[in-house]
Amino acid sequence: MKNTIKNIAALFLIFIFSGSLANAQGWTVPNSAKKKQNPYEATSKNVSTGKKIYNLHCKSCHGDPTMANMLPLAPVAPTDLGAQNFLVQSDGEIYYKVNKGQGAMPTFEKTISDEDKWMVIAFLRSFDKNKKVKQQVAEVKNPEVTDVKLELNVNEADKTLLAKLSGITKKGKRVGLQGIEMSFLVKRSFGYLDVSGEDPYTNEKGDVAVQFPADLPGDREGQVNMIVKVTDDAFYGKLEEARVVTLGVPTDPVNPLDERAMWGTRANAPIWIIVTFVGGVLAIWSVIFLVLFQMIKLPKLAKSKD
Amino acid sequence: MNDLPKQKETNLSFEKIKKDILHPMQNHKGLELWIVFLITVISVCGWAYYIQLKDGLGVTGMRDYVSWGLYIANFVFFVAVSLVGMLISSILGLLRIDWITPISRIAEIIAVAFVAVAGLVIVLDMGRPDRVLNVMIHGRFQSPILWDVTVITTYLTVSALLLILPMIPDLAICKKELTKASPIMKKLYNILSLGYINTPEQHKHLHKMIRTLMVLIVPIGLAIHTVTSWLFAATLRNGWDTTIFGPYFVAGAFVAGSAALIIAMYFFRVNYKLQDYITDLQFDKMGKLLVAVCLVYLYFNLNEFLVPGYKMKTGDDIHLKELFYGNWAIMFWASQLLGNIIPIILLVNKKFRKPLPIMIISLFVLAGAWFKRYVIVIPTMLHPHLPIQNVPENFVHYYPSAIEISVTVLSFALVLLIITVLSKIFPVVPIVETAESKGIEVKIDA
Ligand code: HEC
Repeated sequence: MKNTIKNIAALFLIFIFSGSLANAQGWTVPNSAKKKQNPYEATSKNVSTGKKIYNLHCKSCHGDPTMANMLPLAPVAPTDLGAQNFLVQSDGEIYYKVNKGQGAMPTFEKTISDEDKWMVIAFLRSFDKNKKVKQQVAEVKNPEVTDVKLELNVNEADKTLLAKLSGITKKGKRVGLQGIEMSFLVKRSFGYLDVSGEDPYTNEKGDVAVQFPADLPGDREGQVNMIVKVTDDAFYGKLEEARVVTLGVPTDPVNPLDERAMWGTRANAPIWIIVTFVGGVLAIWSVIFLVLFQMIKLPKLAKSKD
Repeated sequence: MNDLPKQKETNLSFEKIKKDILHPMQNHKGLELWIVFLITVISVCGWAYYIQLKDGLGVTGMRDYVSWGLYIANFVFFVAVSLVGMLISSILGLLRIDWITPISRIAEIIAVAFVAVAGLVIVLDMGRPDRVLNVMIHGRFQSPILWDVTVITTYLTVSALLLILPMIPDLAICKKELTKASPIMKKLYNILSLGYINTPEQHKHLHKMIRTLMVLIVPIGLAIHTVTSWLFAATLRNGWDTTIFGPYFVAGAFVAGSAALIIAMYFFRVNYKLQDYITDLQFDKMGKLLVAVCLVYLYFNLNEFLVPGYKMKTGDDIHLKELFYGNWAIMFWASQLLGNIIPIILLVNKKFRKPLPIMIISLFVLAGAWFKRYVIVIPTMLHPHLPIQNVPENFVHYYPSAIEISVTVLSFALVLLIITVLSKIFPVVPIVETAESKGIEVKIDA
């Protein structure tokens, strides 16, 4: 009897407690939504895509997963999305919350595609200690290596870029590193353009080939600045190779200040405006001077009377 | 001219006209006191300007967003008032409307004084006035600023000529009659009168020149105010980005100018005892003219606010709501009602076109015109297209500082001083023209 009362009291407390928790967080997720599963596998490719999207859309508020370095927003600060007590939620629950948003948490229903949202969730799951096994299955295993090198070969004839990632194993043998995502970036006026394409992952030899776009403008000689790097520094530290390549379409830069225009310098004023202004000023002022000049005659006209 | 019997009688009247008009120039105690007062005001406020010059424009209320404040509003107002010279002495003069004869010189004096100080106000608004010539040296032909500087100097020149040239016969009289004048003044009269003795050839030649300038000043007068409006309308900002700004400003200028002229007429009539020259007729006619230009201005206001107010497009809506019932509502509606609509209603009534009532009404119109300019310039500056974010508190509002207000008072005192001095050394009512219009024979000795 005593036990039953104890149990009921405990249940009651738990009920109240969980209820108040739910209220503080204020998220109500319908049961049907909770049951949704991530349709995408937790491959390293999906996880790394998810990381990119996370860094772009979520990091500014939530900080780095597991680091608890979120923005200190009030009244409710963004959750550490790598924390285990968050990751106890189901995929469907997280998906629902990302879609709906609440308070300072924006809704991403329209701004991010479904696929991308699932990728982010796959990325967050990679921090889930309970799911480690599954992730490890998906991950490609590379031998432990030192002196990792990134080599870049440019084939100007067919406009391809070939990157090779390799390292030296304990046995002293240089081997290719497989399944690592690379980024091929071209410098533009404002930041970098990613030309990596659909599948920029190294193959079993550590190679990845990327076709440079045929229509990308370069400078007068067709030169562009490129950076090729391992997308995720977490694997082998920061590895990148900068190169000036002659793969762009040779382009004469147009300076909008070179043409005659309303926004131009004075020397490049449109002809019609110079003519109108100077002509108008000359016309008016010549009449003024004419009148002044004519006034000199006035004293003489007095004498002519005598 | 050969009518001998009549000559004696008319000579007498001509003498009276001369005496009436010239007498107050030399025998007016209060005038000196008034000049001393104005110079005191200018000196005190000049000290405020000195501080601004020394410490920079940071002493004003202007910040990054409101970079055109009280000074520019005041500049637009001065330019507006100066347009009365072109309206009265040129447009009405060319139409040969005779009642303007006694007041055309006052109009011209107002024009010269206001446009001269308008140009100066721009220099007062500069952090580095020593660089003012750079506008000319490096100015871009595409920039309305260069056009504005050009038309203002041109308008000032032509207005000054239109003040002096029609005055030449009178100056010849001054040379003879003002025996008590200082040697410098005598010399000035001597030079400016250009040996005029009213021979038929001289008369004809002089009036040909005057008519040329009268025609010339019409496009310049339109240009000065249109270009001033383009300083605003050539931008994409809400409240300024409208196609009717040119004629809207011109119409507003006629209102401000006419009101200023009526006030000046009243003070000269009373203080210089010119009741026989600046008569009730002039006030009555000016009242009707003021109603006419106010109606035109009202029509433009209707277009300027009703059409965007009907659409309330994004951006305009914030601006218009601020004017209609926001922070600017009192100033906006006061300038519309007290400065335009109520004066129209009152002035259609003959009783209110008597000198004193119309002078008081004109004071309201003029004050309304001033506040109208303020409402045109500042609210738009406070509503840029990109939201104002992460700036110090005082960037978000604009309140003119004491320094700014003092420098503005200085500009007003300067205008009044110029008008006073000009009316002390030059006859404010044209002597010869008045005599001629009354059919009295004019005789100027060599
Ligand atoms: C503008 C800042 C901001 C951005 C950007 C943002 N969030 Fe949030 N997020 C918050 C805040 C604040 C909360 C807490 C809201 C609450 O609990 O009321 C939150 C809560 C959440 C939650 C629920 C946490 C929990 O405890 O259940 C999830 C899941 C989440 N965010 C995911 C994301 C994802 C994924 C992205 C990027 C696609 C993202 N957020 C971007 C501010 C942000």
